[in-house]
Amino acid sequence: MPLLKCENVTKRFGGLVAVDDMSFTIDHGEMMAIVGPNGAGKTTMFNLINGVFPADEGTIHFEDVDVTNFPAFKRAHLGMGRTFQIPRPFASASVQENIAIGAMFGAAGSEISVDEAMEMADHYIDIIGLASHRDKPAGGLTPIEKKLVEIARALAMKPKLLLMDEAMAGMNPKDIDEMVVFIKHIRETEGIAIVAMVEHIMRAVAGLAERVIVMHQGALLVDEPTKEALSDPRVIEVYLGKPAEEFDA
Amino acid sequence: MKRIDKYFPILPVLVAYGALLGYGLFFPGKWQLVSQLAFYCTLGQAFNLFMGMTGYVDFGYVAFMGVGTYGMAISIYHLSDKGLGLGIILIGLVLAAVFSTLLSLAVGAVALRLRGAYFAIATIGVNEGFRYLIEGARIWNGSEGMIFTRHMKKALGKPAAMAIGTFWADIMMFGIAILAAVLTLIYMRNKVGYALTALREDEDAAKVMGINVTKYKIIAFITSAALAGMLGATAWALKLQYVYPEDVFEIHYTVEAIIIVLLGGAGTLLGPIVGGLIYGLTKYYLAITLPGFQLLIFAPIIVAIIVLFPEGTIGILKKRVAGTPLQKFII
Amino acid sequence: MLFEQLSGNLVQGLVLGAVYGMATMGLSLIFGVLQVVNVGHGAFIMVGAFTALMMFKAMGVPPVFAIPVAFLIGMTLGMLFYYGAVKPLVSPSGSGIKKLTPRRTGMAAGMFIGLIVLMWISSGFFNLNIAIYLFVAIIFIYGFALYIYGGRRQEKAAELATLLVTFSFGVILEEIVKQMFTSEARGYNWDIGKLDIGITVLPYTKLLAAFGSFAIAIILYMWFNKTRAGMAMRSVVEDDVGARVCGVNVDWQYALSFSLGIGLTVTSGVLLTMFIPVGINPYMGGSYTLKAFVIAVLGGLASPYGAFFGGVVFGLVENGSYTLFANIKGLEPFAMTRFFSFVMLLVILLLRPTGLLKAK
Repeated sequence: MPLLKCENVTKRFGGLVAVDDMSFTIDHGEMMAIVGPNGAGKTTMFNLINGVFPADEGTIHFEDVDVTNFPAFKRAHLGMGRTFQIPRPFASASVQENIAIGAMFGAAGSEISVDEAMEMADHYIDIIGLASHRDKPAGGLTPIEKKLVEIARALAMKPKLLLMDEAMAGMNPKDIDEMVVFIKHIRETEGIAIVAMVEHIMRAVAGLAERVIVMHQGALLVDEPTKEALSDPRVIEVYLGKPAEEFDA
Repeated sequence: MKRIDKYFPILPVLVAYGALLGYGLFFPGKWQLVSQLAFYCTLGQAFNLFMGMTGYVDFGYVAFMGVGTYGMAISIYHLSDKGLGLGIILIGLVLAAVFSTLLSLAVGAVALRLRGAYFAIATIGVNEGFRYLIEGARIWNGSEGMIFTRHMKKALGKPAAMAIGTFWADIMMFGIAILAAVLTLIYMRNKVGYALTALREDEDAAKVMGINVTKYKIIAFITSAALAGMLGATAWALKLQYVYPEDVFEIHYTVEAIIIVLLGGAGTLLGPIVGGLIYGLTKYYLAITLPGFQLLIFAPIIVAIIVLFPEGTIGILKKRVAGTPLQKFII
Repeated sequence: MLFEQLSGNLVQGLVLGAVYGMATMGLSLIFGVLQVVNVGHGAFIMVGAFTALMMFKAMGVPPVFAIPVAFLIGMTLGMLFYYGAVKPLVSPSGSGIKKLTPRRTGMAAGMFIGLIVLMWISSGFFNLNIAIYLFVAIIFIYGFALYIYGGRRQEKAAELATLLVTFSFGVILEEIVKQMFTSEARGYNWDIGKLDIGITVLPYTKLLAAFGSFAIAIILYMWFNKTRAGMAMRSVVEDDVGARVCGVNVDWQYALSFSLGIGLTVTSGVLLTMFIPVGINPYMGGSYTLKAFVIAVLGGLASPYGAFFGGVVFGLVENGSYTLFANIKGLEPFAMTRFFSFVMLLVILLLRPTGLLKAK
């Protein structure tokens, strides 16, 4: 069965159709990206998958369970994790507590105790390299550090599907390359089933994604393996300024 | 050993209350002051469980104290001749908790679905609304209230009735205060507390992290309400031995609760105790020198705290002791 | 007989509703522009009521002339409260902590002493006692602390903060008025005749109050839609970032909107006393706060016109329900009506929290 199946998902805000009849599937372990120009509806699509707000039409199935009407927290329990473009850590809680909260309420949450969650958090703190900041309030970190905490918190939820919303936004090329390596590393070591990004930084997309969905004005433009998608003339016309071979994979 | 030191912070609480109680026992002339201080500390702790931990303001909070008072009043008034002795006090306490829990469920069913400002609006009329219901539909004697001094004497005998009103009711208040503190600490050290912190900081992010925010808001709301009910039952019903709707639904108790929690530090364990002591003592001394002015003095202080020092006294203290052994005790 | 009673009361309700609506417009305006709920709303109405009372009693001036005075008082209070406590929460400057230099401290101390002397000189007019001096001292210290520490905050504060701050404004106003005028209830009598329409009698003062409310609502409409200043304010409601980009000084708009909202609210207090010229006391605002909230959610919390409409509806329902309750044995109509308004609030919040009207 597919991990995630979206069928005819549509969302309107007043007169504006933000997401228009989107249908696609994601399989376990896939690494894919959703891209598109600004305003294409990528983040809205994420919010719909995640349950931040409900879709107006269409259905969403997660491992064959119909989650279309499930609130966000139920979807989290089933195995969806999420990071936000602008990190939203729980500012007054420490780094360790932030990540532990992910563990406590995530997919495996009901079986672990608070103390076990704290230990898991320490494990992730080591992975992201912020051990020296363990007890500091998350609100006082630099933006990059907050981003790392955000990712660690989502990972601690032990998700099967990790939705990363523009994780690379605002980074310089060197940091992006490091992040790409980091994400590949997580995927292998943590056995995270999938990382689905919403990126318009082609460098990252080309480096990570096996498959790309391009959205345009809320609708699906192409859904193809990365190389094909990035050299598809339709995509180039709507989005890229130059052919994709210019970006190293 | 790791498990145990999680609960160390209860020690300063016990020390504080023990000292207060001891002071009152050694200096019986000061018992009234001690009783007042205990009242404010308890009020603060109960209120903190909801406002401090969730960040939602329930402007109608006093309504829970009011119905709790009625719970005790009804028990005494109607059961005084059943020969149950002290049982009527126990039943009254249970009834008080039940009444306030029921009211909190009713209010919560509507209000807790609402966010921030809408929640505050929904609760702002609860205390008045309930008072007018009692007066308007003439429930529980309506605006005439209930006086049950006589009933207490009949059920318990005159000396016992007096002793309860002047001493044992206050001891019970201390008990409720400690109960509130213990519950706060238990919540803070378990998933409940973390869920509440998360939803207080960022409710939408919390939902996405898998937290059923409505469930946890309800838990905090009901606990806070039940404690308020018991407080009303002891501090008002048992001590005064009468109840009038216009007294027990007065919004100014909610104002005092807000002042106490903010002064001490919202969401902390020791905050309400510190806040209660500071507020209670200041009010007591102001009452001697400048009666009726305490709100005029405290209202701008609240504004100052919110704008400049939102963490409150204990919040600031926590930052100071971070990294030292004291941080295990000050939360 | 019931029908006559009911229709008579409904007419009264309609007239009163216009005044209620006007009283709520300020609340909706402030929420629409700043997303701040003014929980101390009723206290500002009370200030207007006292303005009308004092001008009538002390200077023999009919309440109509108290209207502009009340508006000015309201705008002033609004500016003071906005810059004093709302702005640091809603639109913080984040410029860091200023140094506590001897010069700054000296100037502050000097100003403080000057203020105290001023108060002492003018203490002939009002009851000024130690508590008021203490209060002024606290405000002064706060103001100075705000000046020094005010830049500490980088981001907007939690919603809780503005709720509590506006609530405290209300408490402060109540207590100051109590100190100056004591808490006894007062009233005044301005009798200019009445209109008898058969089913009910309407004193001209009430009609004047309703007329005044309509007039102000219309002026406000024209201001929002026809003047540059008004449209600038509307742009901030729509999209404050966009407005900034278009050159609108959003911060000043916030200050202006808040003050305008408060000004409207205080003015409505005058109109209210034209309708109900008795029971004026420092704590009268409380019941109006609740009514205002019911009206505001009826009409949509962010829309001043919705508020007006909601006020009229509320006036009708309130009087209608009073008549009904009065005819049911065993119920106290006055108390039950107030309970009923509260139930209305919950029902509306449950069913349509964005108000019964669509859009603005």
